[in-house]
Amino acid sequence: MSFGSPYFTLPEFTYHHPNNLEEAMRLLKTHGEEAKVMGGGVGLLAFMKERLMSPAHVIDIKGIRELKELKYTSGIGLSIGACVTLAEVAQSDAVKHHYTALHEAVSGAADPMIRGRATLVGNLCEAIPWVDSPPALIALGGAVRVNGPRGGREVDLGNFIRGPVDIDLQPDELVTHLVLSESPPSRRSTFQKFSVGSEFSVASVAASVVLGRRREVRLVYGGVSSTPLRSLEAEKVVAEGEVSEAMIQKAAHVASRSVQCVSDVLASADYRRHLVQVLTTKALKRVFER
Amino acid sequence: MRESEVKVNGQIRMREMKDNELLLDLLRDRLEVKSVKAACWRGECGLCTVLLNGELVKSCLVLAVEASGGEVVTVEGIGEDGSGGGGLTAIQRAFMEHGASQCGFCTPAFVLTTHELLRRNPSPTESELTEAVSGLICRCGTYNQIREAVAAVKAHDKRSVSKKLVESTR
Amino acid sequence: MSNGEAVGRAVTPQDASLKVTGTAVYTYDCSIPGTLHAKLVTSTMPHARITRIDTTASKAVPGVVAVLTGQDMPFRVGMYAGDRDLLAVEKVRWSGHPVAMVVAETLEGAERASELVNIEYESLPTVFDPVEAMKPEAPLLHEKMGEYRHAPAFNPIPGTNIANKFTLIHGDVERGLKEADEVIDDEFVVSHVSHAYMETQNVVAHWMRDGTVEIWTSCQSPFIVRQIMAESLGIPYNKIVIKTPFVGGGFGGKAGLGWEALVAMASKLVGCRPVKLVLSRKENFSSGASREGVVAHVRAGFKRDGRCLAYKVRFVLDAGAYADYTVNVGRAMGYSAEGVYEIPNVYCESYAVYTNKIPTTAMRGFGYAESNWVLEQVFERAAKKLGIDSAVLRRMNLLKPGESHTATGEKLREDVGDPRKVLQTLLKELGWGEKSSPPSQSWKIRSKGFALCVKGPSQPPNASASAIVKFNEDATIDLVVGTGNFGQGTVTALSQLVADQFGISVERVRVDLTRDTSKSAYTWQTVGSRGLFTDGTASLRACEDAKRQITDLASQVLRIPGEQLEVSEGEVKVKGRPWMNIRLKDIVFGYVYPNGNTVGGPIIGRGYFSSSLTTYLDPTTGQGIPTIFHTFGGTAVEVELDLVTGSIEVQKAVQVFDVGKAINPLLLRMQLDGGFVMGMSIALFEQVKFDDQGWVVNPNFSGYYIARMKDIPKEFVAAFVETPQFDGPMGARGIGELSMISVASAISNAILEATGIKLNNLPMNPETVWRAIKEQRPDLLTKAMESYSGVETPLRVTS
Repeated sequence: MSFGSPYFTLPEFTYHHPNNLEEAMRLLKTHGEEAKVMGGGVGLLAFMKERLMSPAHVIDIKGIRELKELKYTSGIGLSIGACVTLAEVAQSDAVKHHYTALHEAVSGAADPMIRGRATLVGNLCEAIPWVDSPPALIALGGAVRVNGPRGGREVDLGNFIRGPVDIDLQPDELVTHLVLSESPPSRRSTFQKFSVGSEFSVASVAASVVLGRRREVRLVYGGVSSTPLRSLEAEKVVAEGEVSEAMIQKAAHVASRSVQCVSDVLASADYRRHLVQVLTTKALKRVFER
Repeated sequence: MRESEVKVNGQIRMREMKDNELLLDLLRDRLEVKSVKAACWRGECGLCTVLLNGELVKSCLVLAVEASGGEVVTVEGIGEDGSGGGGLTAIQRAFMEHGASQCGFCTPAFVLTTHELLRRNPSPTESELTEAVSGLICRCGTYNQIREAVAAVKAHDKRSVSKKLVESTR
Repeated sequence: MSNGEAVGRAVTPQDASLKVTGTAVYTYDCSIPGTLHAKLVTSTMPHARITRIDTTASKAVPGVVAVLTGQDMPFRVGMYAGDRDLLAVEKVRWSGHPVAMVVAETLEGAERASELVNIEYESLPTVFDPVEAMKPEAPLLHEKMGEYRHAPAFNPIPGTNIANKFTLIHGDVERGLKEADEVIDDEFVVSHVSHAYMETQNVVAHWMRDGTVEIWTSCQSPFIVRQIMAESLGIPYNKIVIKTPFVGGGFGGKAGLGWEALVAMASKLVGCRPVKLVLSRKENFSSGASREGVVAHVRAGFKRDGRCLAYKVRFVLDAGAYADYTVNVGRAMGYSAEGVYEIPNVYCESYAVYTNKIPTTAMRGFGYAESNWVLEQVFERAAKKLGIDSAVLRRMNLLKPGESHTATGEKLREDVGDPRKVLQTLLKELGWGEKSSPPSQSWKIRSKGFALCVKGPSQPPNASASAIVKFNEDATIDLVVGTGNFGQGTVTALSQLVADQFGISVERVRVDLTRDTSKSAYTWQTVGSRGLFTDGTASLRACEDAKRQITDLASQVLRIPGEQLEVSEGEVKVKGRPWMNIRLKDIVFGYVYPNGNTVGGPIIGRGYFSSSLTTYLDPTTGQGIPTIFHTFGGTAVEVELDLVTGSIEVQKAVQVFDVGKAINPLLLRMQLDGGFVMGMSIALFEQVKFDDQGWVVNPNFSGYYIARMKDIPKEFVAAFVETPQFDGPMGARGIGELSMISVASAISNAILEATGIKLNNLPMNPETVWRAIKEQRPDLLTKAMESYSGVETPLRVTS
């Protein structure tokens, strides 16, 4: 947030535009630390302008067909290729119905022009604290599929973001897909944020509740700390309590006490804690009223 | 450097492009398309907005090479939309009549964006307009006039807006 | 006398077609063949001695032509005090202070080289708070203040950080406070704000081989740029040519000297090659200039019946490392302290103080918005304390035209304007007294508030303007003026004025849309809402002069006395004998008889404006006549406050101003609406934030939020009152800044009205408001949280 570029130009690099995944992997293997993958490029180019990143090689994966697919298969779940844009995710009916929190997170992100370029996977991989999709993805549960010279692997979304701008990904690896598990029909989810007077979310919450005898609850907070945070204490209140105003208020209180908020240029920790309470209330009311 | 071809406002322009060149700079500095402005150079103000292959993008965050083989349209290329009169589109005339431009630095971006909105959706709600321009800043604060200009076009433009992205070159 | 129909019409701005087609050319679009690229290298320390600058590595970058430092250009510049080095000399005074400048063949080369300039510093003690900076033990920023040349109107205090002290003494404020029944005592803090014009500061300079300096710059006042450069660099004025193409916003931030002198020197030092400097947004935020922060302490005394007896205020302006316009802003803040009211006892001290932060300069409103923030809230709080309706309290204290004296001792002329009518119109449009519509949710409150304001240009008594009316062979007119063109559309209004003088259509009058000090007529500056008044008056006088010449010539030709001749409808008309009329095109280049004899030649009308009765202000008491007109006005709002988050949404905005005469209602509306949006954005969102080393930590638009379409009110009402001022062009007064001044106060007053919550600090962003609710009305917050259901009107359409 405190950065701003005095630079108009990008540092020098060689641009690559592989047509298929094998070529992309080969380039990554060859250049490793010196290379960065470019999806929509919105995040990467902004970082490069500020000289936070100066890769000698940029690998544009937008030409790789298999990475462009958004596919929902009933009984299996949702697969989102690395090149699927936020706009495409926002327009998907399947996402809207089965993964509402994700739909709400991407529909309100940035602006239509950025959404038309930025990819969901890229958004996740940026791991910037104020970005909206990670909390929604973590709340909904799933994994990233990673391709690399040591073979493919899946990383649970809850573990993928390790810290600000720090993900579980080696320089020679590529995230090819985001996979969200099948959404139980009794799940309700939502994403709520507060961003008045700000481009970024000062605070946000993604809530997922699977209704039933034993409720499964996830409450994931974004924008309040250096990474998305869950409040296990608040989740417990929601999972165990009878659905009522009192339960929601209690969960909101517990969340605001348990989520470790930071103070930064956008807001103080105090205010964020208050917003955690407010947004938790809002999210839970929406979830239980549907 | 790579030799590349990009169509800009209906004309094919051949240009050598450096890998690290931004589309913004290709357009402004090498192709002399000066209507495209910039005020933040990091995708926040929207003044660098152009149409790339039919989509509105912020050209300060797009590499020139990403446009190679593609088509860019700026405000110089939106041409007449069939509503009649002087080569200006309905939205341009509405901007003029309603005072939607003060210093003018953001005007090309707003004109292009609202023109494209109306092309896809001749009757946008206020909410849809607000969303469409949410990536743009007007420091002079002409938003109310822009809102009125779009409403005026919506009210009067009964004819279907031409689907062609590029009219005759200027 | 006007006989035409252009004045009063909503004529489309002359340059609108260029703007909507993207063909208007700005300095950002300009360069001339062979232009080199410049890049600043700025300080990483807030206050330090420069011990070493090593440019070896940077000079070795291919394409680098020069790496310049302060030693290469030992000139000091400044608006009112010569306190500014072109590049830091001896020491740096803020984090972001330009220390060196790279000039290179390519932008990439300049950027790369700028990373390689090695600067070593010896840290000095710092001071970031202006009140701390006033204390005797504070570290000094300008030890050599005593040596700086300064304009006589200002009082810098050498040996301190006080760049200017202004005092206003009117009556006996201590006695007034003693006699008062209620005293309001409060402190207010206004944050730094950035002009954030969309076109960043940028300059192309070419020091030519013949010694002429040609400059293209995005600036408001080319003549003052020329003056400062000429005086500081020791060059004759006519050897400096300042050209301004279209300007992408100024708002006062480009009112004076920017980077022109620096880039000009660079051009000279690289062997007379053209050089262009474009500031990035971050650089504009961190190394350019912002609007000053203010700490204000006020004590105001009221009688039980509502009369204000005494107003005592101290303004401390955080001027940053260089004071530039801020010394005058502080002065204006001081003499405008009493606003629209007649207060018998006023005392004001206003200090512009140096701190180790970004330099500051003028911004639209020139101190009035800040003094209004204090005054209008004090009056609102007094009304609440006394149990008197706000409107009644205001009305009772209003200045009376023709009767009242202002706090600077000026007796208001009879035709100064009609503050009572302004207030009446404002309240009517707002629906004051009528209940607000119900809030959209149970945890929100809707309420109404208003604030009044008044302003005139803060210009020296000899600030003049001039105009030339030049005819073309077809009797179309080129109007040559100096007032700038960066969004206000003054040139269109001027062409309307001139068109009517000759009874021709407005399309037949052209005003150049760019400026050039060697070709444009002189005007002091394009600031202070003066343009229409000063340059309009000059233009009308030029028309009178031209008409006199035309009728003199026609009289000669027709052998008819001049008083029977009149210029109107594009002709010289003869009373009673219309068959003798002469078309203007047959006379404005001289008259040719049938046999070929020619009488007369090209008609050139000239006129000027100068103010006759404005004075210097007394250095001890601030008494005098500071300005040429007083535009009265006000803002009213209906707002919705979200008690849960502290967000304020303006539902309805009303702006009413006594403009004397609405020359162009469309241009007026654009100013009123646009000024509201800017004022609202500053009131609710904008704040330049600093860390503990004085770095600007939000030098971009995600950290520094500016209102977008989604933030504006649903309803705008722009209304004007017309109480003509006889010496204004067609009775008109200025308006440009006015629409920004009372916006914040109106919003705050609406919040006070509904909740009793006092908001002392700007901006009123959600967190600030939430804190205030928590501290002052925790009951409201508790109740709101209880009823909060989270159901909102959706702001976004989901795709």
